[in-house]
Amino acid sequence: MSESSTQTPAASSSEASALAQALTSKMNRARAIKNKITSVSMAVGGISVIIAIVLIFFYLAYVVFPLFLAPEMERTTQYPTPAVTEGKTLHLAIEEQNSIAVRFTDQAKAIFFNVNNGQVEESVDVDLPQNSNITSFTTSRLAKGFIAFGLSDGKMVFAQHKYRTTYFDDIKKVVPSLAFPLGETPLVLDPNEHALTHVGLMHDEEKATFVAYTDDNRLLLNQLIFDDELTGDAEDVTYESTQIEIPNIQYVNYLLIDNSQSLLYVAHNNNEVSLIDISDLDDVQVLERKRVVADDAAISEFTFLTGEISLLVGDNKGRISQWFPVQKETGLTLSRIRDFDSQHTTITDIVTEQRRKGFAAIDDKGQLAFYHSTAHRTLLHDVVSNAPLNILAVSPRANTFITEDNQQQMQLWHIENEHPEMSWGVLWDQIWYESYPEPSYTWQSSSASNDFEPKFSLMPLAFGTLKAAFYAMLFAMPLAIMGAIYTAYFMSAKMRGYVKPTIEIMEALPTVILGFLAGLWLAPVIESHLPGFFSMLLILPAGVLLFAFLWQKLPEHVRHKIPDGWQAALLIPVLLITGWIAMSLSLPMEHFFFGGDMKIWLSENLGMDYDQRNSLVVGIAMGVAVIPTIFSITEDAIFSVPKNLTFGSLALGATPWQTLIYVVILTASPGIFSAVMIGMGRAVGETMIVLMATGNTPVMDFSIFQGMRTLAANVAVEMPESEVDSTHYRILFLAALVLFVFTFVFNTLAEIIRHRLRKKYSSL
Amino acid sequence: MTTNTNTTETKTHAVNLKSLGREQRSNVLKNETTCISTDNLNLFYAEKQALQNVNLSIPEKKVSAFIGPSGCGKSTLLRCFNRMNDLVDGCRIEGKINIDGSNIYEKNVDVSELRRRVGMVFQKPNPFPKTIYENVAYGLRLQGVKSRRVLDEVVEKSLRGAALWDEVKDRLHESALGMSGGQQQRLVIARAIAIEPEVLLLDEPASALDPISTLKIEELISELKDRYTIVIVTHNMQQAARVSDYTAFMYMGEMIEFDNTDKIFTNPSKKQTEDYITGRYG
Repeated sequence: MSESSTQTPAASSSEASALAQALTSKMNRARAIKNKITSVSMAVGGISVIIAIVLIFFYLAYVVFPLFLAPEMERTTQYPTPAVTEGKTLHLAIEEQNSIAVRFTDQAKAIFFNVNNGQVEESVDVDLPQNSNITSFTTSRLAKGFIAFGLSDGKMVFAQHKYRTTYFDDIKKVVPSLAFPLGETPLVLDPNEHALTHVGLMHDEEKATFVAYTDDNRLLLNQLIFDDELTGDAEDVTYESTQIEIPNIQYVNYLLIDNSQSLLYVAHNNNEVSLIDISDLDDVQVLERKRVVADDAAISEFTFLTGEISLLVGDNKGRISQWFPVQKETGLTLSRIRDFDSQHTTITDIVTEQRRKGFAAIDDKGQLAFYHSTAHRTLLHDVVSNAPLNILAVSPRANTFITEDNQQQMQLWHIENEHPEMSWGVLWDQIWYESYPEPSYTWQSSSASNDFEPKFSLMPLAFGTLKAAFYAMLFAMPLAIMGAIYTAYFMSAKMRGYVKPTIEIMEALPTVILGFLAGLWLAPVIESHLPGFFSMLLILPAGVLLFAFLWQKLPEHVRHKIPDGWQAALLIPVLLITGWIAMSLSLPMEHFFFGGDMKIWLSENLGMDYDQRNSLVVGIAMGVAVIPTIFSITEDAIFSVPKNLTFGSLALGATPWQTLIYVVILTASPGIFSAVMIGMGRAVGETMIVLMATGNTPVMDFSIFQGMRTLAANVAVEMPESEVDSTHYRILFLAALVLFVFTFVFNTLAEIIRHRLRKKYSSL
Repeated sequence: MTTNTNTTETKTHAVNLKSLGREQRSNVLKNETTCISTDNLNLFYAEKQALQNVNLSIPEKKVSAFIGPSGCGKSTLLRCFNRMNDLVDGCRIEGKINIDGSNIYEKNVDVSELRRRVGMVFQKPNPFPKTIYENVAYGLRLQGVKSRRVLDEVVEKSLRGAALWDEVKDRLHESALGMSGGQQQRLVIARAIAIEPEVLLLDEPASALDPISTLKIEELISELKDRYTIVIVTHNMQQAARVSDYTAFMYMGEMIEFDNTDKIFTNPSKKQTEDYITGRYG
């Protein structure tokens, strides 16, 4: 905004009449008012723009901010263990509504009690066969509520705790129940009727697998394959049962079966895990036997992370390590993924969150800690009890938990832990995701399953953004800048009068149309004429040079028919014809050089896979979108190089070409730089073209034949389907913020450099 | 080409030569060696004729000034000598211009080479946005001179030749745009003489400068005339009288009179010349 001047001119001469003076002062006042209005309205306009941008920035930051809030927890109440006389707690669980919890005891009771005050709502007895008692216990799939008791007579009771919400007189009530998916009759795991000291199970709609370790050191496995797929509570399930014994495994501590029921993990000797392949029961193999704790430590807790892929091993030194099998050349290998080391004393229980890859652990010094595996974070760590803690239950929504200590006291806690998945590393570092062979940068934000591990790496998106911009600039920069140079410096004024507005009007072309054309027309054309397209790089310039050569050879009277500066127009048919030649040579070339299919040739000889919607297509389409921007600003910059500089150079004996290189481009360099930067900014922020022409694959591959996903396209694709206020939603806003900051910093830097250049090279 | 038709009127000259503190020059044009000569030169801008049948012989290693009212074609004529008019759309030339005996409008003439031989300085100082050093070295670099030693030598020699060395020797590698207008114009002259032209064309070189800078430029011109054939276009008759050996008066695209400067200013042959120098029009 320019300073407004409201000074009155010097006093008029003394001879001037009063009338003239009055008129002058009136005019001056009017002028001053106009000045004032103009300057105020310009100030208002300018400041509103700044405010609008700041507001956008703050809104983005406001949505993103909760991602960085530390979790908080608070004790709601405490009460003695309900029905404490009914036995020691084996397992504790809370249902979805946070109103009922259940305590399974070693006297075969399921005691359902009110979460908020510890009053027993219902106590269910599990029927055991006569003369038997409970010798072991296991759970499986916390979200499904599967539990199993191992009995002293080699049998197993398999049950499921369930909840139903009903309304009595419009009052919501949760009704608990205990169900038996395979019938109430206990399963016989050991025909020899030895006591089962350890049990483990996995159950789905097609089959169920049970393992047990007996007091005479046998490891037994029983697999049931259901005749019909299980639907609901079928009381009369029929199945085929296979029973085997796995030899040479002794001193078992824990038994776990993975979600596909093909791997059995046995923790034994207090420090080792054996990985056993049980996918083929006729050929059970011990794949690996590995020490999983430090030399001086012993396993004190062994459980699955949600999804039943990753193992969590807690030891008596307070360390928790995450493991999962990784496919290596030598076969499946149990790999240590990451360690959590906050508690420094014996871990007594680890409970995983049912819908996230987080978990909580308690120890024998009354400490409690919340962790997140993917983010590799200790979210919370505090001493919550004076007595050692035994049992922990975390509610399905992971907002409430109950602890029980060895004094039979229960504490109810509330926890605010909305975004445990978030950390710097999750966004920008390589993360070793479950079932991945190695750490990687991956963006895969959602899936249908709760067991899914979200992958929120912004790296592939930032990479895709830069890659798309790079290929677009690779295409646009030479064409736009050279075109601008020719137009401004060599072309006749009249032709320039047609060419410049034509290119500038291309800027008004909606990018959705460009994207549409690129995705639906250009991509298939390029795919089927790949050699043609690449040969154009050679044939077009060769055609132009050949034409220029022939043109020089033409007799003068023919050449003079074309006025100076119009010769470029002659190239239009030349380009069209050579382009057509290149395209029609495509098939023969593909046949001759590439054995009939260039895509297969590329993949076989160069190891480059071909995506139909790839960087080449995006580069061309987005290049077309940024060409007018770069062209227009560059052309202006070159055209405004003062003529006296050009003449000065020419008068020193420089050829027009030397003048262009040494003087014109140098003087116009701030403008050209700024054109490139603005074009780059446009390419980085462009959404519709990349959305429609890339296939949106968030891969980190610089190959020109692979697609990409950009930050902007990612926001456009995923924002409508993300749950409001979820971590995913906020990370999308973070991506937008990153884009915003990126362009802001980029433009600011560009502007600073441009000013420097202008100071240095500005002309007279 | 000048015909002596002596007028007997008393002359009231606008320019008093003696007051300019200059020695009387009695050179005779006929005795000089010709450097540039034009032969029935006609020049057209599209349909408009800007130069009409100009015949002229410019002597070697002397200062020749072109004077005349605005739009009389003096700058146009000057620009013909290094073919800068080629850059003007629709400009057409008939006739011949010989420099050192060969026609510069022949087809096989290398224009860049011609311009190297015939240097030019414009009305407004136009240093390139480069350092002082690079400005002077520009012409040599164009010719592919890379040797640092040669460049250093030439830059110093040229800056000394343009009486600028002492002022800028400590800031050779600073931008030329930081200099004053007068310094810039002398830099441009240094840049022009760095490539050792035969002819130096000066197109109103001092018109954008203050009086002191003008004086310096004029002193410079007197120093340079021993080595170069100088042609200067000026609006300022005192300037023409001060610096030139020969003066041409042009009017409406015609060469009215070209003769010894003293003669032009004291005893012109043509009425039009006299009218102009006595300030009756222009």
